[in-house]
Amino acid sequence: MAEEKKIKKPHGVARLIQGKCIACGARCQMPCPKDAIEMNDQGEPVIILEKCSGCRKCLKVCPVDALEIYYTPQEEKILAEIAARTKAAAPAVEEIDKEAAETLARLKEYRGVWVFIEQTAGEPAQVSWELLGIGAELARTLGVELCSVVIGGGVENLCQESFSYGATRAYLIDDPIFHHYRTEPYYKAICHLVRKYKPEIVLMGATGLGRDLAGAVATELQTGLTADCTGLAIDDRRFLLQTRPAFGGNIMATILTESTRPQMSTVRPHVMPLPQRDVSRRGEIIRETVPGKEADFAVKVLEIIDTRKEGDVDVAAAEVIISGGRGMCAKENFDILQELADELDGVVGCSRGAVEAGWMPAERQVGQTGKTVRPKIYFACGISGAIQHLVGMQDSDVIVAINRDRQAPIFEVANYGIVGDVLQIIPALTNRIREMRTQRRG
Amino acid sequence: MSPDIVLFAVVIVAATALFGWSCFRRFRLITLGRDEDRFDKIGERLKNTLVYAFGQRRVLRRPFGINHVVLYWSFLILFLANAEFVLHGLFPAYVSLSRLPTGLYYTLAFIFDLASLLALLAVLVALSRRLFLPPPHIEARSRDSFVILSLVAVLMIAFFGVHASEIAQGTEAAARFMPVSALVAAAFMSGAPLDSLVGAAGFFWWLHALVLLGFLNYLPYSKHLHILTAIPNCYFRRLDNVKTQSREEFTAGNTYGVERVEQFTWKDLFDSYSCTECGRCSDACPATFTGKPLDPRLVVHDIKANLLKNGSQIKNKTDRVLPLIGGGQVGSVSEEVIWECTTCGACVEECPVFIEQYPRIIDMRRHLVEMQARFPDDLSTLFENMEQRSNPWGMAPAERTKWTADMSIRPFEAGKTEYLFFIGCAGALSARSRETTRSIARILDAAGISWGILGRDELCCGDSVRRLGNEFVFDRMAEENIKLFTEKGITRMITQCPHCFSSFHDDYRQYGLELEVVHHTELISRLLKESRLKLNHTVDLGNVVFHDSCYLGRYHQIYEAPREIVASVTGRAPIEMERHHSRSFCCGGGGGHMWMEEHVGKLINVARIEQALEKDPATICVSCPYCMTMLEDGLKDKNADDKVRVLDVAEIVARAL
Amino acid sequence: MLVVACIKQVPDTTQVKIDPDTGTLIREGVPFILNPFDVHALEESLRLKDKYGLRATVISMGPPNTEVTLRKALARGADQTVLLSDRAFGGADTLATSMVLASAIRRLSQAEEVALVICGQQTIDGDTAQVGPGIATRLGYAQLTLVDCIEYVDLPARKVKVRRKLRGRHEVIEAPLPALITVTREINRLRYPTVPMRLMAEEAAITLWDNQKMGLDEATIGLKGSATQVRRIFSPERARGEILGDGANEPEKAAQLLLGKLIEKDLLYL
Repeated sequence: MAEEKKIKKPHGVARLIQGKCIACGARCQMPCPKDAIEMNDQGEPVIILEKCSGCRKCLKVCPVDALEIYYTPQEEKILAEIAARTKAAAPAVEEIDKEAAETLARLKEYRGVWVFIEQTAGEPAQVSWELLGIGAELARTLGVELCSVVIGGGVENLCQESFSYGATRAYLIDDPIFHHYRTEPYYKAICHLVRKYKPEIVLMGATGLGRDLAGAVATELQTGLTADCTGLAIDDRRFLLQTRPAFGGNIMATILTESTRPQMSTVRPHVMPLPQRDVSRRGEIIRETVPGKEADFAVKVLEIIDTRKEGDVDVAAAEVIISGGRGMCAKENFDILQELADELDGVVGCSRGAVEAGWMPAERQVGQTGKTVRPKIYFACGISGAIQHLVGMQDSDVIVAINRDRQAPIFEVANYGIVGDVLQIIPALTNRIREMRTQRRG
Repeated sequence: MSPDIVLFAVVIVAATALFGWSCFRRFRLITLGRDEDRFDKIGERLKNTLVYAFGQRRVLRRPFGINHVVLYWSFLILFLANAEFVLHGLFPAYVSLSRLPTGLYYTLAFIFDLASLLALLAVLVALSRRLFLPPPHIEARSRDSFVILSLVAVLMIAFFGVHASEIAQGTEAAARFMPVSALVAAAFMSGAPLDSLVGAAGFFWWLHALVLLGFLNYLPYSKHLHILTAIPNCYFRRLDNVKTQSREEFTAGNTYGVERVEQFTWKDLFDSYSCTECGRCSDACPATFTGKPLDPRLVVHDIKANLLKNGSQIKNKTDRVLPLIGGGQVGSVSEEVIWECTTCGACVEECPVFIEQYPRIIDMRRHLVEMQARFPDDLSTLFENMEQRSNPWGMAPAERTKWTADMSIRPFEAGKTEYLFFIGCAGALSARSRETTRSIARILDAAGISWGILGRDELCCGDSVRRLGNEFVFDRMAEENIKLFTEKGITRMITQCPHCFSSFHDDYRQYGLELEVVHHTELISRLLKESRLKLNHTVDLGNVVFHDSCYLGRYHQIYEAPREIVASVTGRAPIEMERHHSRSFCCGGGGGHMWMEEHVGKLINVARIEQALEKDPATICVSCPYCMTMLEDGLKDKNADDKVRVLDVAEIVARAL
Repeated sequence: MLVVACIKQVPDTTQVKIDPDTGTLIREGVPFILNPFDVHALEESLRLKDKYGLRATVISMGPPNTEVTLRKALARGADQTVLLSDRAFGGADTLATSMVLASAIRRLSQAEEVALVICGQQTIDGDTAQVGPGIATRLGYAQLTLVDCIEYVDLPARKVKVRRKLRGRHEVIEAPLPALITVTREINRLRYPTVPMRLMAEEAAITLWDNQKMGLDEATIGLKGSATQVRRIFSPERARGEILGDGANEPEKAAQLLLGKLIEKDLLYL
């Protein structure tokens, strides 16, 4: 046996590791050169062993490493033998893919980190300044410049503001056409700038406007865009690692754009820290104009209605909800919740009990027969957590429960709980927030 | 001397023909309804007719029912008298009481005389009640009632008039045996000249004849049609309890539910003819009681009115004059009404003539849901959750095993496990009801019962969607459950929830599923009786009132098992609320109302809690997770949750282990 | 004229749970559902059908079992459905997805003019909100995202007026047709399928377009046409059931502890 001259190296076959597949959308199926992968009704791969050649292409694309190569015990033996024979031999030098090299060279043409400064009627969105903070970090790591992109009508002052938050250069397109945000003129303007100046990273806020714009820009430029990022970093190949929640927040995914530029992300507001504002900082303003006049754009903004001051509170769409139940004891006590809501830019909701008691209107009710909500933070104050309430709020990102009764079912779903009197704890929380804010400002 | 026979014959023929024609017109409409077999089991049906029609058993459930029994039996007796009256009028030479043997003649004369008095008194009592006592409902004071009562009174007075005149003339041989007529004669006619007595006799005779024939012809057009239909309605009653609905066949081209009155079965239509508007169903109905627009009596009345209004259009297949569903006028049922029913069954339970009120509401719900996709907004979520996730809240299946907490999960294994413990959605998913589930598990273990669960594979029984008229979704859910039960080899099942119990016990039987299903209260009571379950000590729970679950009580006559358990645990029988056993008042959670808000009137659960609080309880004992939720919410509403608690029967047993 | 609703079948992410011991995703038994945002896109297209006589067409890219979801759309009243399914479409990011969808809409428009394309605001599995803008840009349609009210469609004048819902404000916008609209969940209340419609949908034919039919360059679709690559997927840290402090006796301190946690986890900003 040992005399056998040549041993054929076994390739094995791909195999799914039970419980690891997340049904990402048949990523593994497509690269398979042998059509050896079928997807079952659960969206998981079924590998047809007779067809599989063990090429490992599916393994490479699986984002959760749910596939492995399986060898029979016999094959294992052969492998061990081969390993023993080639032990002394030097490892093979990895072949450089010519195509990959070309791509890398092309990507090198792109330099710089850009942040789009979002504004409405000249008023900037705070997320833009937050992005300048993280943008500066990325630019530092990459050794490139941090630039802001300011587009609007009469918005030059925002360039200086962006310098105060850390940008060193601002691309400014200032024209009455851009007075109101409209997708087409805006995305065309940005694409014009990108094509001309070739940044490697473009960041926007993951706001309604930012997500509207980024999607159009990325499609026009045929480049990668990652939505609603909560983490950004640079890897050893200068690639932007974009981390974001997916699957309803049940998993986090790190995504990158390997072969196109710029790398685009929209970033969730309030996630990146706001950098220190320093009005003494200066930068360079680069004025640009884009071809095009008002008549080219058929979309018209007819009216803008400020809904902040209106009385209609939309519990379903709120990002922070302070809900009260029967444990609030009286109608007046909901004022305490409103005060906290005002501090957190949230709205006051309630349980069915509070509606039944006549303390709150039915539109604020969360639960089976009320609204289903998915806020970033849900405060359940004096709510025991009967199932008809839980089903309306259990998918909130974070649940805070305050209740006297440690046995209340609400604590089973809460991320943070305080056992105590809601009428003491909520005012204490509100006061503490106010104190800290005053300290910060002062 | 008899009045002119020819004239009488003409009147009789005309009146009878008119009556016959009226009846034909009325009853022909019944045949427009869909088929339904109510012609089986003749013996049992005859027995029912004896007990409930002639025996008036359900009428007698209310104290005032005695008045009806008197009137009813007087009428039955006087039917003979009136037959004689008519025949004697036509053929005086051949037909006459006086031609009978004297003994029989005198006896009958006595009985007729007495029956007429009783009928007259009963009518006077009924009239006084309507006039002077608060009536059960406003229609009791309708013109119809007064017309009929007056006619009957006049008929009796005419009877006495005829006989008194004859007695006064000295022509009545049975005078000694007709004390009332004799008294009338003595009081009003003594010493009157003969010709005026003859005139009076003629007058009263014709009055009697005309009122009798008038009454006959008024019947088919009044609520007193029940005189003709109530007895057959008792004969054709459903022999089992009303506790499930018929299946529908889902093939292309079918229609579902009832939108037009002839889509009801003939028996449903016959029901509507049998209603006397006595209002007992209204009194029993929790929706009516709490000020909702629903009144089961009016639903039945609307069906009748709609049938009468649309009768010829249905026959001629032309456009309807009045839609069955829509409301706005008599003969049309509004959608609000249709959605208010909790299917508690109190109406059906109360009806003296076995009208099935609430199942008609479900028929109309089926039309709204399945054909129109119209239903209260609250139900969108429910229907979606039931279809997508097979539970009313849309929780993930994995949550179904959460109740086990520190207990090990015991899967059901055919051959190894005797009972499937079917937890039910509430028992598995609602934090409060999980306590009950855990208690039952402890009890079963203490009694050495071998049981297992389906865990995350358990599906909803579909009770709520079926009662809400979403038969299509129920049908799919039932098929899935049956597949699961068959695969797992389940033959015996314990349920936590009376709604699961009732579904598997009756609804699923329509699908050929033969399971031995037992509700936990029944099983526990049996285990206690057989001493397989031993209680360590009695538990003091203060004053305990027991609240009946509709689906256990009225639907399945399980009244005593839970009460016996309470007695065993506390050493005392539970205190009864004013409404209990078959008269019990719904918690407000049945028929899909667990998932709907009440927007009109008082909350049903609060009304029930108020009834409970009258008994000053420390504990309200229940046997259903819906009752648990509804009553606990009611206590909170009354700010009584710190003084009173709601416990499931199983929970109190667990405390005594 | 057509109104095209783009829908997606997604795993019901609210049923996805993380195994507390292993930190992995528990996907077993998680059903596929019609993306809850897309239900409203479908509903809006049906309302436009009812109101303006547009023909409601529903398209979806996904595995063959997406057919189940398309039948639900038919049961609710869609006139026709097209399933875009091919293994070459698999593993697509938003760029490659919008490529296939836009091509399909272009194909549809060759047979009948497309007035509007309606998409859900985003999906619950990807949460990107990028496919709508991607389709609009590729087709050169007016792009109207986050619409919570279509005020009117003027077919002869080829115009649409909508209200967009943004944070703190509404925008009323007029745009030319054809336009692409992404809708919020508040735009409408859903209809429920009637039984006759359900039975009809169960029997109806579903049009299938694979890439042989579509003839798209494989470098622009599926995994190969995707510009983004998923490098890694991991479970987020999640705090579960932490009771903070002694709220009954020291409410101030407990409140402070809570605030600290919320700030530490980037949930609150001061």
